[in-house]
Amino acid sequence: MENIVLSIDGQKVSCPPGTSVLEAAEQHGIKIPKLCYHPDLKPYGACRLCLVEDEKTGRLMASCVTPAASNMVIRTATPRIINHRRNIARLMIAEHPESCVVCSKGNHCQLRLIASQLGIGETKLHPMPNYKTLEQANPFIIRDLSKCILCGKCIRADHELVFVGAIDYNRRGFRSRPATVHDQALEKSNCTVCGTCLSMCPTGALSPKNRTYVGSPARESIAICGFCGVGCSLAMGAAGEKIVEVKPAQRPDSVNRATLCVRGHFAHDFLNVSNRLVSPLVRPNGNRRPAQLVPASWDEALEVIAKRLADIKSVNGPQSIAFLGSSKCTNEENYLLQKFARALIGTNSVDNGGYIFGQSRLRSFDERTAGGGRVNPLRGLERAEAIVVLGADPGHSLPVVGYYLKRAAGQGIPLVLVNPRRTELVNSAALWLRLQPQTDLELLNGLTALLHTKEGYDSGFIDRYTEGFSIFRYSLSALDLERVCRVTDIDRRQLDAAADLLHGKKIAFVVGQGILQQKGGQHSLNALLNLALMTGSLGKEGTGLYMLAKENNQAGALDMGAAPDRFPGRQSLKDDRVRKQWEQAWKVKLSPDQGLNLARMIMEAEKGNLKALYVMGENPLRALPATERVQKALQKLDFLVVQDILECETTRMADVVLPGAAFCEKDGSFTNLEGRIQSFSTVVPPPGHAKPDWEILDRLMAKMKNGCGYGSLEKIRAEIRQRVPMYAELDGRRQGWLRATSSKVIFGADGADGLISFSPMVSVDEPVKDEDYPFTAIFGSMRYHLGSGTRTGASRRIQELELSSEIEISPQDAAGLNFKEGEAVNVISRHGAVGAKVRLKTGILPGQIFAPLAVRGNTAMNLIGLSDLAPADSPGWKTCQVTLKPA
Amino acid sequence: MNPLEIDWNRLNAIIAKHRGEKWGLIPLLQDIQETIGFIPPESMEPIAHALNLHPSQVQGVVTFYAGFSLKPKGKWVLRACRGTACHVKGSRGILRLMKKELGLEEGETSPDYQFTLETVACLGACFLAPTMMVNRDYFGKLNPTKVTSILAQYGKEKGDE
Ligand code: SF4
Ligand code: SF4
Ligand code: SF4
Ligand code: FES
Ligand code: FES
Repeated sequence: MENIVLSIDGQKVSCPPGTSVLEAAEQHGIKIPKLCYHPDLKPYGACRLCLVEDEKTGRLMASCVTPAASNMVIRTATPRIINHRRNIARLMIAEHPESCVVCSKGNHCQLRLIASQLGIGETKLHPMPNYKTLEQANPFIIRDLSKCILCGKCIRADHELVFVGAIDYNRRGFRSRPATVHDQALEKSNCTVCGTCLSMCPTGALSPKNRTYVGSPARESIAICGFCGVGCSLAMGAAGEKIVEVKPAQRPDSVNRATLCVRGHFAHDFLNVSNRLVSPLVRPNGNRRPAQLVPASWDEALEVIAKRLADIKSVNGPQSIAFLGSSKCTNEENYLLQKFARALIGTNSVDNGGYIFGQSRLRSFDERTAGGGRVNPLRGLERAEAIVVLGADPGHSLPVVGYYLKRAAGQGIPLVLVNPRRTELVNSAALWLRLQPQTDLELLNGLTALLHTKEGYDSGFIDRYTEGFSIFRYSLSALDLERVCRVTDIDRRQLDAAADLLHGKKIAFVVGQGILQQKGGQHSLNALLNLALMTGSLGKEGTGLYMLAKENNQAGALDMGAAPDRFPGRQSLKDDRVRKQWEQAWKVKLSPDQGLNLARMIMEAEKGNLKALYVMGENPLRALPATERVQKALQKLDFLVVQDILECETTRMADVVLPGAAFCEKDGSFTNLEGRIQSFSTVVPPPGHAKPDWEILDRLMAKMKNGCGYGSLEKIRAEIRQRVPMYAELDGRRQGWLRATSSKVIFGADGADGLISFSPMVSVDEPVKDEDYPFTAIFGSMRYHLGSGTRTGASRRIQELELSSEIEISPQDAAGLNFKEGEAVNVISRHGAVGAKVRLKTGILPGQIFAPLAVRGNTAMNLIGLSDLAPADSPGWKTCQVTLKPA
Repeated sequence: MNPLEIDWNRLNAIIAKHRGEKWGLIPLLQDIQETIGFIPPESMEPIAHALNLHPSQVQGVVTFYAGFSLKPKGKWVLRACRGTACHVKGSRGILRLMKKELGLEEGETSPDYQFTLETVACLGACFLAPTMMVNRDYFGKLNPTKVTSILAQYGKEKGDE
């Protein structure tokens, strides 16, 4: 369609049809005051401050809701308009309370700003503040609705962006206010405390609760959230050397735009807690436990490490040393750490915390697709033809992904939800397949077979890009659908309904820890890829597999080679050509043999084979199952180095502790779950003597080889860019994307004809009833905590919630066991026992319980046995059989 | 009848009748208001689920319209007109009398759920000012005697507490 041409303040302006007068003006640098308009929200026209005049007709109109039309002659600031605007603003202020002068919104208040721009001091109107409620019981958001100007932004943000619907207008006219159902406090409603409404509010009606700082931050810088794998862009407000406020950065090209979640918005107060590590610590007396940890200089501490590692290497060999990289540290830091292990020490025993979330299981997936499909922007979900969500509760684990999904479903995109538990996505789902835990594989097989029978496959795609379909389809025809229904506990009609919803569509799969950590997860991933191949759901926007990375740089740490079986770029150790390249680059001999993964490091330490462990930014003692076993294993080590930001269970066991920097205290880059590489710079300096982790590693490595280090981050980046083609865009720009390097043509024009093969069908065993441990415990996350909860647990605001260890149980089972809401019980598995309080939940099926992880002081991980997740037959860490006893 | 005890069977039947209707919220609410006499606050969640809305949206609509009430009302809802025409003709005194006779303030309901007293801005029958309504019946050209006899007609004896 042709552009519309109009005149605004005498300037010829052209814009596409559908643009509002306000947007057309803004695009041409003409500013119009506005309070209720936001580019991400539907226009609303509530505040009337954006009034403009059409010279031809003399009509006044709200420019945000008036579409530009050709030949309009718009004036945005005639005396008449200004007079009207002034009156509107005066009325708003007359209704405002006197506490305005001490409002915590301070200089961020847009009402105040506009009033002063319009030259309003005294309103000369009878003041008529009309509403009394001040609500500040929750630790996050203060609601002072006497300052509400009814712009509706909070409500629209809540409905249109995060899709929660916690608030809406109540009553009408003068008494109208945004309210929760039954007018309860926010924390009693279904509000997720994401704070999106808060950062939208133009006045002090909604403001963040901040105990340690009053007023507006002195400066604001952009950073990337250090919690989950979404990688939201933050605007971090600092005063002095402390972060005092966090808001969404509101960048149009960011993942989250105007949204955030409770962690990103509020939990960053953990940065300022008293148990931050501020100085290197060593143990005197030849550095042995049980001597106390005492502060030391950097030189001293690094000297001890260099010497001890060299000694251990010469006495016990390089294989007696292992390195644990971090799914929370930057790409550059993980690259250095694995180089430390491989090039300097000579071991492939290097892993990262992503292991805990099943990251290592992506290997066969990566291999089959040759690393293709890694770049998958979330915005594609809003353009998908159909979405299947498996083993994921993004509303809690990766809330921003949850928003994308709910918005997609809100647009009418069919969403099939596969989950044994009721989650917040159920309301958005076209179909909820409530299968038995750990039977996803069977369900996927059944769905694939059913779609095959109904001819819901893409022959063109199969012929062009895949191989082995003719054999695979035999197994599909042979599949016993009755057994599928029996094992999964999904009835045939539902399975048919799912197949009908997906028939003929290209599918986007959203895959969470429920699949990655589960028993047989590897097979489930293979089955997923089979289904994706058969339906042609790969290689195009809005299709393929969205792997939910639980921690912010889980994907990047793996890309950087912080894994026992892969070089940087997710290249195989076994590939001779690749290994040669790295040998040349690093001028050392490299071993093709896989090193120890995280679970095996613990097992080898237990046996006494592993002598030294270098941990960067992880708290294995809290994050792994079987705490006691892990603790004993770590005690057996000759030497434990922990480099971290907070004092924690693991640092207390260390022989040397090195204080690192949190994500906003250093330069670096993270790669999010979409394959977006986001570089960032320092917002505030690290506390005390703490240093950026890359600098620590650089100095230590230089010391060990008696040479000099990189000295700058850019030099490390240059090496990565040169050696890891995937990361060619890691050049310090705010945003780049992984470069496609797949050899499969489906993922990019430069791919060769490499076909992707269907993998043979595998079935799960029929479950046998476990008489001694009759309940299946499902482990999962809560939105207030991330990972093992070390950082979120240190946040004062999160602490104030006083979450306690709870398990969720169905009312039927509770009645059968005679348990009451809130009653203390013991949960016992073959591996351990923990105490917890009972919560009755209708969203849980009888025979199952849900145990949230990472809550402060919670030890639910102890119910799971420590097993290696890598083998295909691993029991997994997602569920286990338990029994319940009164405490 | 204890109006606080909600008849969930009837309520659920009404909700089920409108389930999935995209524009069904107002008819559904009217249906409940008529049948049950008010919109039980606990019903807002199930209503929202049935129509695929947020409960807060349902509440927004319920509290917007004066015709919906979240509190149970009396068997007889008396509405005194406080519009301009009626005011000129002395509706203030009429209201005062009604308050006194019923022992209720505006917006209140008697403990036995017989009477609810409300005011409206104009009943649209100004030629009959001052006016009032009892449920759906209009009464005009009111004077104190007439008011007392109307109240008596609905079972409110003078001085009968
Ligand atoms: S904090 Fe988030 S969920 Fe709660 S009302 Fe605001 S936008 Fe809605
Ligand atoms: S609370 Fe804030 S955002 Fe919400 S309507 Fe009032 S002024 Fe607008
Ligand atoms: S935790 Fe995840 S979803 Fe929440 S703000 Fe941070 S990156 Fe975004
Ligand atoms: S910005 Fe246009 S009416 Fe508020
Ligand atoms: S003013 Fe009373 S009926 Fe119109």
